[in-house]
Amino acid sequence: MAVYKFAADSDRCIKCGGCEVACKQQNDVPYGMRRIRVVTINEGKPNETNVPMACMHCSEPACMEACPMDAIYKREDGIVLVNKDRCVGCGYCLAACPFGAPQFESKSNAIFEFKGKMDKCTFCVEPTQQKADDGSLIQRDPIARCAAFCACQGLLAGDAEEISKTMRERAATRIAGTA
Amino acid sequence: MSDTKRNLKTPNKFKTTRRTFIKAAGALGTAALLGSYGGTGRLFNHDIIASAAENTVSGDTKLIKTICSHCAVGCGVLGKVEDNELVGLEPWSDHPINHGGMCSKGTSIAEIVNSERRLKYPMEKVNGAWKRITWDEAITKIADKMTDIRKEYGPDSVMFMGSAKMTNEECYLFRKMAAFWGTNNVDHQARICHSTTVAGLANTWGFGAQTNNVNDMRHTKCAFFIGSNAAEAHPVSMQHFLTAKERGAKLIVIDPRFTRTAAKAHIYGRMRPGTTVPVLLGLVNILVNNNWHDEEFIKNRTIGFDDLWEVAKDYTPEVVEDISWVPADTLKLVARTLYENKPSTVVWAMGQTQHTTGTNNIHMSAILNLVLGHSGMSGGGVQPLRGHDNVQGSTDFCILADNLPSYYGLTDAAWQHWVDVWNTKSPVTMDWMKGRFDLKNAPGIMNKNGFTVSRWYEGVLYPKNKIGQPNNLKMVFVWGHSLNSITEMKRMKEAMEKIDMIVSVDPHSTIASSLADRPDGIILLPASTVFEKNGTVTSTGRQIQWRNKLVEPRFDSKPDAEIMQMLTTKLGFGQHFTYSTPEDIVKEWNLGMGAIAMVGQTPERLKRQQEHCADFDVETLRATGGPCKGEYFGLPWPCWTTEHCGTPILYNDSKPVSEGGHDFRVRWGNEVLDNPTGKHIGDSLLKGDNPVPQVGYAYDLTLQASKDALARGDPPTGRGRARIWAWNLPDPVPKHREPIESSRPDLVDKYPTFDDVDEMYRVETLYKTNQQARKNIVNEYPVILSTGRQVEHMGGGAETRSCSYTVELQPDMYVEMSPALAADVGITNGDFVWVETLRGRCHVKAKVTDGMTRSTEQTHEVAFMPYHWAGIFEGESYEDRYPPGTAEMALGDSVNIICVDAYDRTTQMQETKVCQCKIYKA
Repeated sequence: MAVYKFAADSDRCIKCGGCEVACKQQNDVPYGMRRIRVVTINEGKPNETNVPMACMHCSEPACMEACPMDAIYKREDGIVLVNKDRCVGCGYCLAACPFGAPQFESKSNAIFEFKGKMDKCTFCVEPTQQKADDGSLIQRDPIARCAAFCACQGLLAGDAEEISKTMRERAATRIAGTA
Repeated sequence: MSDTKRNLKTPNKFKTTRRTFIKAAGALGTAALLGSYGGTGRLFNHDIIASAAENTVSGDTKLIKTICSHCAVGCGVLGKVEDNELVGLEPWSDHPINHGGMCSKGTSIAEIVNSERRLKYPMEKVNGAWKRITWDEAITKIADKMTDIRKEYGPDSVMFMGSAKMTNEECYLFRKMAAFWGTNNVDHQARICHSTTVAGLANTWGFGAQTNNVNDMRHTKCAFFIGSNAAEAHPVSMQHFLTAKERGAKLIVIDPRFTRTAAKAHIYGRMRPGTTVPVLLGLVNILVNNNWHDEEFIKNRTIGFDDLWEVAKDYTPEVVEDISWVPADTLKLVARTLYENKPSTVVWAMGQTQHTTGTNNIHMSAILNLVLGHSGMSGGGVQPLRGHDNVQGSTDFCILADNLPSYYGLTDAAWQHWVDVWNTKSPVTMDWMKGRFDLKNAPGIMNKNGFTVSRWYEGVLYPKNKIGQPNNLKMVFVWGHSLNSITEMKRMKEAMEKIDMIVSVDPHSTIASSLADRPDGIILLPASTVFEKNGTVTSTGRQIQWRNKLVEPRFDSKPDAEIMQMLTTKLGFGQHFTYSTPEDIVKEWNLGMGAIAMVGQTPERLKRQQEHCADFDVETLRATGGPCKGEYFGLPWPCWTTEHCGTPILYNDSKPVSEGGHDFRVRWGNEVLDNPTGKHIGDSLLKGDNPVPQVGYAYDLTLQASKDALARGDPPTGRGRARIWAWNLPDPVPKHREPIESSRPDLVDKYPTFDDVDEMYRVETLYKTNQQARKNIVNEYPVILSTGRQVEHMGGGAETRSCSYTVELQPDMYVEMSPALAADVGITNGDFVWVETLRGRCHVKAKVTDGMTRSTEQTHEVAFMPYHWAGIFEGESYEDRYPPGTAEMALGDSVNIICVDAYDRTTQMQETKVCQCKIYKA
């Protein structure tokens, strides 16, 4: 069983914003809300670094622990989701999350019935569980569009094992290249 | 804002039937063994790949392959189409160039098609109000006006400004249309984009294009960015540069700003804007003094090294540091790094081209590469990264005031060549063509350069005895061109208020509708976007791709080719412009594009490559198997015959021509004979070991000359030498010339600009007069102003500033400045300021950033402004002048109101990177 994770290779992030737009387009995220955001530290200085920040889909999600409504749950494949029917928008998850991932839309153009409720990265899993013609449940690989569209393949998303392999290959290339 | 509610249909309509799921699962099984795709590190998107392969997700959702319409990297993307609606995008993960990667502009292109702010119907301004008219009314009015002007003033009183946003086929038709109308007053964005690259490179070694391609940058050992901020202007190209870096390559950035590209570099040097030539001469000086130049390469494959040394010997590191601010130690480190990391490549964009010395800058970049002996090889050469998606194509098809398609020039032989080609479509003779031009009143006008995009307005404003044609311009077509990307906007505004008629053809109303304060005389025609038509597009690496239509034209818009067909039919020569398919047009241009050998890229081959894109190796871009086996992706020109594989790397003499090898082009005769100074007589321009002269391949429609050359093992362009010393340029070897508005009055007399020119592209151009008059400008305007790009916006910004996604990321026009300058001005980040020059002033926000912080050597502060903004003019909003509902979401003051009135000496490229300004609190 795959376990889905994100990994950011900040050596490859150029802050083009492709991930942010891909996310918004795929998930119809309202104006003003950012499920993923590229953060730049030391802008304009020699150690300027960009890090794309979304939900890390933690193995032990602090948000889930903190949620008094049991609105946050973790799927078998590691993806952490919020049940908006249970969420009351208290914000405990935001306080608990080490990465600032939970978002709360307050502006007029919120997602209709979910105004004020927590919103976050879903790894682009389908919004509803789809059934095939014979009634069986359709399973699909989740494809996080932010990573699939990443201009320089700096943001990796997918099975943790695959990501680890890619990151190791890159590290090995760097070691070999500078030897 | 209503736009904030996305206007796409229901999201996530990614339906799956059981049948497609089974297929997807099958693909997953195979792909899992492969791991990541093609060694790029991208995790494989099994489902999407499988769906795209059969071109459907479910019964009513299709994934259609297309090419991004923003920059020229050539990224592929899949349009998700349901019931003729573009509902989203999916990554095209096995596309050989981008492997699915897209920047913020690219991932938002669905909204370009769907934008409610597009121009929906033909509109005319009447009595101060916008009125919807029919296509028939519009075309009749335009054609009648043209005919009247022709009768009274002659064909040269119409100016055609074309577009790099059209397909190759439409670019070809546009140039053809101007020819059939009878004028050379036809030009487009390339004039203000890379015209100096073409002049500088073609005069060095034969062709004016990027020598390699972005994928090949994976093999460079050292990428030297001078005049390029690729991380923001060509984001996806960085995929390959950063791969090279991972493999140990060095990245060097010399730039007035610490850019996002600089943040990835090993070496960064802050330079004074306008000093590219001295920096590069300084590097040559260090290389030669250390014996780091490649003597054998120089001896065998170039001419003029001694002349170069005569100039370069004076540009010691210390002299260059004084001129350019780049520390002598940094220069030495850069030179050593270039030498020790072979092959190195020079990368640039507008930072080199948009200068009075643009052609010199580019010539000098090529010279540096030649002196190192890094030209004509994988990972080496020079990389001028082109801007618009099809600006390489529009340049190749020569929507240019000085050329016919394929750079044949405007000679009688060139005209005869193209008349022969056009005659195959519908009968036309040279005599008829001559009759279309105003040869009676202006002998030789058929062979004379027309007005350029950068100065066309002077054709309206100058008295008619001061322009190089019988009468003033009376009508202008702004056909897919953002006017706010052209400098001297105040002069242009004046011209647009004086001219008889303005016709704008564009998906958006743009400031062509709003710049001129006039009650009538403007007609706007809604053009379709590139996603509403089929055709070919050429990337910066000379790769030609087939781009599929995603949806039928939205609203009442029409593709450019159809508009041209309607107009020419009304003008009486429509039989030359009526085609049933784009493929027919490709076959016509295949016939005539011999000079750069765009002859082998047939529609069938291009579509086959699109279908079998996964067969191309990411490292070489060559198909390793399948039906395209042996071909290079995009059949990069020169592609000599319909069997040739394309030439991925220009001038690479290490492999057979039939396998994509090449050599420097023999273009100026076999030996140096026509040198006015008498020097160099007798030098051979042919490569020593293989003295085959250039043959007449370019004019041979049968391709026999090319086939004969290939059979001999030679490129049809011969085997020549690169010209370090290019005798026909104003500076045969580049030397430093201070900008027209210089921050260093003490250097102006030592390094003066060019002499004034009485007539150049039909208009007088002042150099020394202006430089001398403004010699002490720095006293009143102490800050150097430079301009450039934002990653989220493109060109004049009509599309990206109308798109809620990109506007959300980048909502403001601003001026970047250092914290020290902000403190002097008395403002903080986000405050409004005025930026003022001799031309006028802009009302913009301040962006205070450490990226602009002064270096120790820096003598003056530098400010930077992006050029994508319009709709506000010197602080005054023009929003109410657009047709209702069509103004962009985000408006801003245009920096080109205040940029300097200065132009390249060879191509009339505008200077946008150096002028003097002052900044004060608003």
